[in-house]
Amino acid sequence: MERSYKAQKVIDRLGQKLNRQVVGSLVACVHCGNCTDSCHYVLANPDDPTYAPAWKGDRLRKIFKKHFDWTGRVVPWWVGAKSPETDADLEELKDIVFGKCTNCRRCTMNCPMGVDFATFNRLTRGLLVHVGIMPEGVAVVSKDQWELGNQMGVLKEDYIDTVEWMSDELVDEVGDDKAAIPIDKSDVEVMYTINPREAKYDPRTISDAAKIFWAAGESYTMPSEGWDMTNFGLFSGDDELGGTVSRRVYEKAQALRAKKVVISECGHGYRSTLCEGANWAQFDVDFVMESSVQTMLRYIKEGKIKVDKSLNISSYTYHDSCNFARSCGMTEEPRELLNLVVSDFREMYPNRAENYCCTGGGGAMSMTEYTPQRLKSARVKADQLKATGAKVVVTSCHNCVDGLTDLIKHYGLDMEVTQLVNLVANSLLVEKAAEVPEAEHAVSTTLAFAGRTILVVDDEADARRFIATVLEDNGATVLQAVDGDEALQMMRDKKPDLVTLDLSMPGKDGGRVFEEIRNDSELSGARVCIITGKPELRRLIYERPVREPEGYINKPIQEDVLVSNLRRILELTNKAA
Amino acid sequence: MSEQLHFAEHTLQEVALGFMALVYCIRIYWFTRFTAGKERQPPTGPASTTPRKGILFSWGIIGMPWAMESSRKNMFMWLQFVLFHMGVVAAIGLSFIIPYLPEVLAIAGVIPTLQVLTGTACVIGVMRMIRRLGGKHMRAISTPDDVFSLLLLTVWFAFAFQAVPNSTANGEWQLMTYFWMTAFFLVYVPFSKISHYLYYPFTRYYLGKSMGRRGVFPFERGQPQAAPTGTPGAPALANVGAIQRVKA
Repeated sequence: MERSYKAQKVIDRLGQKLNRQVVGSLVACVHCGNCTDSCHYVLANPDDPTYAPAWKGDRLRKIFKKHFDWTGRVVPWWVGAKSPETDADLEELKDIVFGKCTNCRRCTMNCPMGVDFATFNRLTRGLLVHVGIMPEGVAVVSKDQWELGNQMGVLKEDYIDTVEWMSDELVDEVGDDKAAIPIDKSDVEVMYTINPREAKYDPRTISDAAKIFWAAGESYTMPSEGWDMTNFGLFSGDDELGGTVSRRVYEKAQALRAKKVVISECGHGYRSTLCEGANWAQFDVDFVMESSVQTMLRYIKEGKIKVDKSLNISSYTYHDSCNFARSCGMTEEPRELLNLVVSDFREMYPNRAENYCCTGGGGAMSMTEYTPQRLKSARVKADQLKATGAKVVVTSCHNCVDGLTDLIKHYGLDMEVTQLVNLVANSLLVEKAAEVPEAEHAVSTTLAFAGRTILVVDDEADARRFIATVLEDNGATVLQAVDGDEALQMMRDKKPDLVTLDLSMPGKDGGRVFEEIRNDSELSGARVCIITGKPELRRLIYERPVREPEGYINKPIQEDVLVSNLRRILELTNKAA
Repeated sequence: MSEQLHFAEHTLQEVALGFMALVYCIRIYWFTRFTAGKERQPPTGPASTTPRKGILFSWGIIGMPWAMESSRKNMFMWLQFVLFHMGVVAAIGLSFIIPYLPEVLAIAGVIPTLQVLTGTACVIGVMRMIRRLGGKHMRAISTPDDVFSLLLLTVWFAFAFQAVPNSTANGEWQLMTYFWMTAFFLVYVPFSKISHYLYYPFTRYYLGKSMGRRGVFPFERGQPQAAPTGTPGAPALANVGAIQRVKA
């Protein structure tokens, strides 16, 4: 049988990508099995040997042995050498390297020979991506990052609008015009880069960071381009994408003559921008880069900001992001900072470089086809979280936030996820804030949705009641619908300003309702915010051939997230109108 | 000593050793033809974790069972590893002692020591074979080379054990088999997974260099801590606020 074109390309590409580090790892594995128990997938699937790191690593080793190593060329069966021959073989390989490993590197840390399985896995992903074989989510996100400069498809105007909106909110909150968030200011000390998730789903983290910069009297700016420090090239194995994305950040920092790039809390963003990006881009960086965790810690130590840990009153544990702890050695700063802003910190075991993956790493959250096995493997993490007895898990990674949120919901844990920036901002002692009259502040909050009519569509009574209560408390007139048909009818009859739409509903599901809204000439202009407990369904919404929703919120819903996101939708779309 | 045994102890060994050295030279040449990836990233982590320290830590990690969870949680496996490799050293040493330094065997305690080492290694070889063939995961990752290499070593240890006294009182077949196996071993090793020791310095060097640059190796900033009673599911230590540091 003749080898398929793509299979041959994969083999050729492997030849081009081999370097001494990779070859060393490929020839050194003795199949001792010591790595097996280090993988959370194995621990959750003890009867399935195809999750064992050495088995997964062998998928690449087989190709290497067959084509680049002498024993494998002469007696392939003796050393397990084998070529991929068909596109189906490559598809099978795809399901292994994307679906059975998050590149968390825990096995690498436990290999006596120093075999870097995570690098193999990333390399294999890159070989497949090179011939266009990858999960759909990876393709979509990569395309967004190539074309729009960020991995969540945030348009430049939306990003700027969001930053300006957060800026206005902050100025109002602290009563100081100097708190406004600068964009593209030159000759600053700090250029602050973020994860697009912050602009799209969690803008509160932007205003929290800005509040800290303002309180510290920092000379900083947010860039209009090159603001996304995340890098899907790390997950997809595409070094070209990785280099391009990193270069955008580096060149923008140089253009603004910023002395330092501060990277907001994101594990893979930190690793990509600080460690790998310069290699991928072949770029010699001439400015300092640091994580916002280090920045915040320094501000406190230098007395630039003051915090009161009694303002964070819950019990907290810390989840080490794989990329922070196992690839960048960032383990102590987050703990040091956490201990400065909370009173009740409970260590998680194992921790630091031995911590288990959140199970959402390596781009896993974008690969919805592997969600069931991801959530099954998350049992290990769930047990770890439960054992801490803490109410809040803190992490310095947006991927981890999503991964942990998802598994907390799946395993029914009574926990919340937050980031250090939120805790620091919450504990910040700001003199100006005291000048804002409490009553006035309260009125302004209460009236967030005054005069607005909002339709809440959800089949779960509890969820509907919660959302309705929060919105009514903030001045909205709330309509409620329990299914899609009722929702469509109410929209026609009452013309609400905004619709919150659950996706999983019996009968006509939220996806269908959303498409009908967009395809209905009378309703197509409606502002819709998707609210769902199944993040994997997000792709189905955004892939529909209709204009995307104005917002998206994950369940479980946090009150402040709900209010800030819906306000943002109403205010931004007002501006657009 | 028969001519055949003399041949097996000397000429055969020298030819086999020469062959192995030649193949290893070619192998190293082949390996170093792959360019080493250059690291441009600025150092991360504390200043005390340097590439040099990372490399030294990485090389020495197999001697520090507490440093890796896979060793720490399987101390018996780690002990097997140590004893097995001590047996390898003993069996290889024996192939030089008998032909070139037989008087060493006359030193008190040498014969029993070598027999304990090779005998223990042989027993461990059998245990490892059972593990490799008996466990679902181990079977799945094993190639014929893995099984054969382990079998070869285990049988070789058995004959090394018998060859230690260097006695032909009960015939030459034990010594003859040991030396023929040693020669086969020398010729086979460069093509098998047994040559892993050739790559160990390289793989651990590069991993150590990279991890040292990034502040991960050595684990000196707060040792990764195991749960008191194992995790997941281990009880949490409440209010463990202080950071445990090996170095202040």
